[in-house]
This record gives sequence, structure tokens and C-alpha cells, in this order.
Amino acid sequence: MMKKIKGHIQEAVLLLLFISCLLPWCMGILSNNAMRYMIRIFLYITIGEMWNLMSGYAGMTSLGQQAFIGLAGYSMAVATTVYKLHYAVGLAAGAAVSLCTAALLALLLMRMKGMYFAITTWVAAEALGTFFTGWRYVNQGAGMNITIVPYPRTGELYPAALILCAVALASTILLLRSSLGLGLTAMRDDASAAASLGVNVGRNKLIVYLIAALFTSLAGAVFFINKGTIYPDSGFSISWTISVVFIVIIGGIGTVEGPVVGSVVYVLLYEYLAHYPGWSNIILGVFSILVILFMPKGIVGFVSGKQHRSLIIR
Amino acid sequence: MYILQVIINGILLGSIYAMLGLGMSLILGIVKLTNLSHGEFVILGSYCSVLFSARLGIDPFISLLITVPVMFVCGYVLQRVLINHAMSRGAEPALLVTFGLSIILKDGMLLLFSSDARHVSAGYSNRVIKIFGLDISLLNILLMLLSVLSILLLMLFLNHTYMGRAIRAAADDVEAARLSGINIGRTFSVAMGLSAATAAIAGFCVSMKWTFYPSSGGRYLLIAFVIVVLGGLGDIRGTLLSGFFFGLIQVIGGANYGLLISYIFMIIVLVASPAHSAGSISEK
Amino acid sequence: MSEIMLSVDSLTVKYGEMTAVDNVSMIIHKGEMVSVLGPNSSGKTTLMNTIAGLNSPCGGEISLEGRSLNGLSSDKIVELGVSLVPQGGRCFSRMSVFDNLMVGSYSKRSRRSAKSSLDRVYELFPVLYEKRSQPAGSLSGGQRQMVAIGRALMSCPRLLLFDELSLGLAPVVIKDIYSAIKHISREEDTAIVMVEQDTKRAMKMTDRTYIMLKGNVVLEGRPAELSDDAVKKAYFGS
Repeated sequence: MMKKIKGHIQEAVLLLLFISCLLPWCMGILSNNAMRYMIRIFLYITIGEMWNLMSGYAGMTSLGQQAFIGLAGYSMAVATTVYKLHYAVGLAAGAAVSLCTAALLALLLMRMKGMYFAITTWVAAEALGTFFTGWRYVNQGAGMNITIVPYPRTGELYPAALILCAVALASTILLLRSSLGLGLTAMRDDASAAASLGVNVGRNKLIVYLIAALFTSLAGAVFFINKGTIYPDSGFSISWTISVVFIVIIGGIGTVEGPVVGSVVYVLLYEYLAHYPGWSNIILGVFSILVILFMPKGIVGFVSGKQHRSLIIR
Repeated sequence: MYILQVIINGILLGSIYAMLGLGMSLILGIVKLTNLSHGEFVILGSYCSVLFSARLGIDPFISLLITVPVMFVCGYVLQRVLINHAMSRGAEPALLVTFGLSIILKDGMLLLFSSDARHVSAGYSNRVIKIFGLDISLLNILLMLLSVLSILLLMLFLNHTYMGRAIRAAADDVEAARLSGINIGRTFSVAMGLSAATAAIAGFCVSMKWTFYPSSGGRYLLIAFVIVVLGGLGDIRGTLLSGFFFGLIQVIGGANYGLLISYIFMIIVLVASPAHSAGSISEK
Repeated sequence: MSEIMLSVDSLTVKYGEMTAVDNVSMIIHKGEMVSVLGPNSSGKTTLMNTIAGLNSPCGGEISLEGRSLNGLSSDKIVELGVSLVPQGGRCFSRMSVFDNLMVGSYSKRSRRSAKSSLDRVYELFPVLYEKRSQPAGSLSGGQRQMVAIGRALMSCPRLLLFDELSLGLAPVVIKDIYSAIKHISREEDTAIVMVEQDTKRAMKMTDRTYIMLKGNVVLEGRPAELSDDAVKKAYFGS
């Protein structure tokens, strides 16, 4: 009973948030600067939700999601800059290339668990980065300037990022409510018990991995349209993983709301930390470690733990 | 003759790689933790040897007398105040804490030492000696001797002291070790201290042999990981052997293909061996 | 015999929602030999693990000679003189028999006398001396159990807890091990608590018996004074 009501509250709050992000855009009262911030928040929410789905629910801690961000960014850049295609085609190309790569990687990864999974994803991303650094077609380490005619304005990217984020959130919620999601939760708690209950652990993991690759790559491609340039050190950088780990941990791992809260905190904090060059990653690292140790359920868990402790009936 | 030369060089280099894998293998086998900041420990060791030998004007080898104890204490304290707590929250939080640690260490070194390439050299760095008509670098021989000596000392410690036995017992069965009166938190901290100390020695070898940057840690983490996987988890003897094997491949394959060949070997081992997939040691 | 060694006072232990030990009280005198009996999952193992500091109680008090053990970690409890031989012995299978035994004398109190303790263990179980340099994993089940008992003795305990020593062992081996334990109890003046499923043998050996069922103590007394009927009734819970 409680759970059902709580579920509807979750939907209502998210819908309200969506409308309150869309309305000011319709009325045209958002400055370009504000929109740029919001776009980054939307994209981080998307990537964060996907990482959360993998690590927080399916027990697959990846350190290499930047592989899909870089791949999609480059595919989009090549499609638009070299072949002069519309950026929507570029997005589709990015998603397709990432999905194919994910499917190939899955052949290896689905046999691994825990730290093997984590390190192999990392190695894969590093290898791709090294490959692109040496690939003449994409200008090696110097990277590419993305030219799209006409270049999409910030006002055009804003709803794209918002819708991507909304679809990612909705998919996550639907996925978690489906039988697959229930299987995932069982799997996270006890994989062998879940398997003995007839949950197809391998299939569930594969589906989650592919969905995560899809949305992560789309977010990556939009990010690079917004940025205008791409080079191997930005596309395949481990700092993507640093950010996303921070976002999910701070917000609350294993909760749908966590990455949303985490992204807002991250984008604001990052802006503030820009005044201290060199220190930003250190501060983010210290922050994450402190949260893991003292607030293991993140901000969301901390707040809801305080409020609902007496309400949760099990 | 040429082949003999290659094999000898490979073995000499292999002792460095064995040191590199040893520290990671210790932590994996005993604490059952993947330390993602192991590469940064190595590079920290490299910077320590630059710092102490340049600032104090002493021979790089002598600087180890400072570096190794310092790194031991760092590893001990980190495990004691940080990682033990994270481990009590589960395997994934512990993994992420070491990831956070690696970022902090890397960017910290960048702030302290800038991104310039560094290298340590001594008067004998480029000297070559002739043994039975083979040209062998004196530095390689010294580094090999250093590694072998460290490994022997470590073995003595593990096999013949109370703490050493406690460490092996904890690696075997944590609960039974507890019931035998062993303080697991302290035992794990000593193990991490030892791991950091071996990383310092590996880092010293790196600084004498190659150039390095604050961001070189990731590369050495991966190499250490490859060696540990090839040698079998937490199996110290296996780690040593695979270190030598790795060294040989680097010499035979050269700078470009050596690493690639070992990555491929690692992937084959990872995919082929059931121990690495379901129910692996890290899941305990 | 009259002085109290260990007292367990209305102890409750829970695993999440499940209560494994429910309001249990128990007293062990110095040098006494006590058996704790009961069917599977009656809370015996949990009780032993809690005394040894592996679980933390959620209510009640455990004290050793008047000193509270609540909240102490296992290594401190061993240091105070309480050793548990866990179910199945749990040897360190990759370490030699000698190293296994030496691990037992890790606590500071017992290090000084490690050498004489070792001689005593070898005297008690001569086969361990023969196999001292073999890895414990290569021994038979009975010999591994001996290693575990020897390891516990190395810590110079004043209270020894045995959890299902006889589980999975051949009757001949059980006899050997039980006679060794009798010897320990007599010679070393060590209090002993034995958790067993083999009711008859355990009752014959021990001074007093507790019978547990579903986390509660349902019967206690001297074996001679307990009627077969009462024991049966306690076992099956009427």
C-alpha cells in the first residue's frame, strides 16, 4: 500500500519537474547561460541513471562508460562534419556504433564479475582512447572541430537534452517496476539465489548493459554537439567515470532520485571549483570517500531515512 | 647468442614486473580487495626516490631506506583509517574508495610535482658489463638483486613471524583467524603497508629505468593487474613467475607489441578460466 | 568447582528479524565440563559464536569472571582466555600443521609459553608431530579437527568451547578425540563447553547439560538426574 502511494508520488514529482523545466523554455525566459547549465545537468542525470542502474541495481560496477561517450561523440562528429548530415542522423549513428561495440564487449564482460568487470571496462575505454589518439582519419590526438550547418542553437539542444533525460528516467523507472527490475533487485541481493528462483541473471545483465550503453552514448553525443569540439582526451577520459561515480554516490546509489540530486550538486559544485584549478578532482574524490563512509545511501538516503523511518512498513 | 641475450634481459626486467605484481597480489590474496590506487602508490614511490635522492644528494639506492618505511606507514594508515571502514560496507564501496584514492593521489602529485617527465639517474646508470661475451646493463643487474632481496625478505617475514603467519591465516579463513586471537583490522593494515612498500620498490625501479609522470599510475596498475591475473590470484609464487614471463614478452615483443601481447594473454586467461567469472574470489 | 567462570545472562541474539537466541541464561563454573545439546538450528552455534565475539548480542550480558565481554572483539576475548573451536575445525588449509598451531599462540598472553604449549599439543596428538610440515589441507578430517583443537590449546585458554566436534567423523576417531578432551579437562583445569548433537555420548562425559530448542534453554541439570523422558520431551518440544 505504502509502496504504491510512494510510487505515484515519485511519478508526480518527476512530471512536475519535467514541466517546470519545459515551461520556462516555452515562454523563452531562459538565458543561454542558464540553458547551458541545465543541459549539462540533464546529460549528467542521464549518464548517472544508467551507471546507477548498472552498479546500484545490477551489480555491474563499470569504470569505462566513457567508451560509449567517446564513440558516440566521434561518430556524430564524423557524420556531421565529414558527411554533412543532419545532427539527428549523427545522434543515431553514435547510438548505433556504441550499441554494436557494447554487444561485442558484452561477449567478454558478461562472463565477468566484480572487479574483473570493472577493470575490463576500464581497459576497453583506455584502448579505444589510445586507438583514436593514433587514428589519422579523426585527426589523431588533436581531435575534431564539429561543423554542422546550420549549427543547432542552445535553445534547440535544450529540449533535446530534456527529453533524452526524461526518457532515460522513465525507462529506468519502468524497467525497475517490470519483472526484469524485480529480478535485478533479487540479483543484487543474492545472485545465486536469484538464479535458483529462475531469474535469468545473464539475460538481465545483458539488457541493462545495452540500455545503459544506448542512453550514455546519446547523452555523450549531445554533450559534444553542445561543446563543438572533440578529442580523445575529452571523449575517452576517465574523468567521465570520476564525475558519474561522484554524482551517483553523492545523490544516493540504488535510488532513482539519487543521480538527479547528485547531478545538480555536481554541476553547481563544479562551477564553484573552477576557481581552484587542479584541486577540483581532489575535492570531488575526498567528498565521494566521505559520503561512502558516512552517508552510504547518499543525500537521498539521508533525507528519506530521516523522514520516512517511521512511515516505511514492510 | 642473441637469443640468450634477450632471455637474460627479459629475466632481469621481469624482476621489476614481479615486484609490480607482488604488491597487488598481496592485497588481492589477503585483503580480497582490488586496490585501484596501486599504480599511484608505485608512482608515489618513484617521486619519493626523485625527491630524496635529489634533495639529499644521496645515492638513489640509499634513498630506499627512507622511501620504503615511509610508504609502509602510508599504506598501513590508509588501510587502518579508511579502507577497513569502507570494506565493512561491502566490496563495491571499497573498490570505489580505492578509485577515489587514486584520483586524489594522481591530482595531488600533479599539483606537487607538475606534469613534467621525471627520471632518476646515477653515475652507473648506463654502464654495461661483459659476462661471458654478453653485454648486460649493470643497472638491470642491480635492480634484479634489489627485487630478489626484497622478495626473500618478504617471504621470510610471511613464513617465520607471528604477524606473517597471521597474515597468511587471514588470507585463508578470516573468521577462523579471528577465533585464533588475530586482530583482522591490524593484520590487513600491515598487509597494505607491505603492499605499499613493495610498490615503493617497484616505483624506484620505474624511476631508474624509465621516465614517469603523475598520470603514469594507470599504466602500471594495468600491468600489475595483467601480471596478477596471469599468475593466478593471490598466489605469490605464480605472480613472480608471471612477472618474469611478462618481462620476457616485453623484450621479445618490443615496446609496441609487448603490452598488446600481454593484454591478449590476459583476456584469454580471464575468459577461459572459470575462477574469474561466477563466484570469484573478489565476491567473498 | 564452585567459582563462576562464565555467566550468560538473558542473552538475545538476532539475525535481522529472526531471533536465533532468545533470552538464554547459562553458568559455567571453573574447571567444569558442560554440554549444550539440541536439534539443528536451536541456536547452539549462535550462542557459541556470540560468546566468542563473532556476533554481537542485542540484549543481555556475557561476563567472564565478572568482566563483561559485550562489545569486545574476538581477538580480545581470546586474549582473556576464551577459545572456540568452530564447526568443522576450519584449519588454514594452505598452511603447514606447525604454522596452524603457531597461529593459535598469536595472542600476547600465550606467546611466552608457545614452546611448552606446542610440546603439550604434540604429546596429546602425536600424529600432528609426524605431519608437522605438511599442509593442513592434506590431512584427514579427524586430523584436521585435532589441528583445530591444538590451535585452540595454543592460546592457553581457561575456557574452551567446542562446536560439534564429532560432526562427520568416524566413531573410532571421535573416541580418540573425546578422550583427548577428557585429558585436557583433567590436566589443564580448563572449563569446557561442548555443543553436540550426539546426546548420549555428550551427556555421559559432562558434568552438566543444557538442552536448547528454538533459541531457548528448555532443560538443564546433571545428566544423572535427568530422566530419559524429560530429555526426549525437551528435544521434541511438547
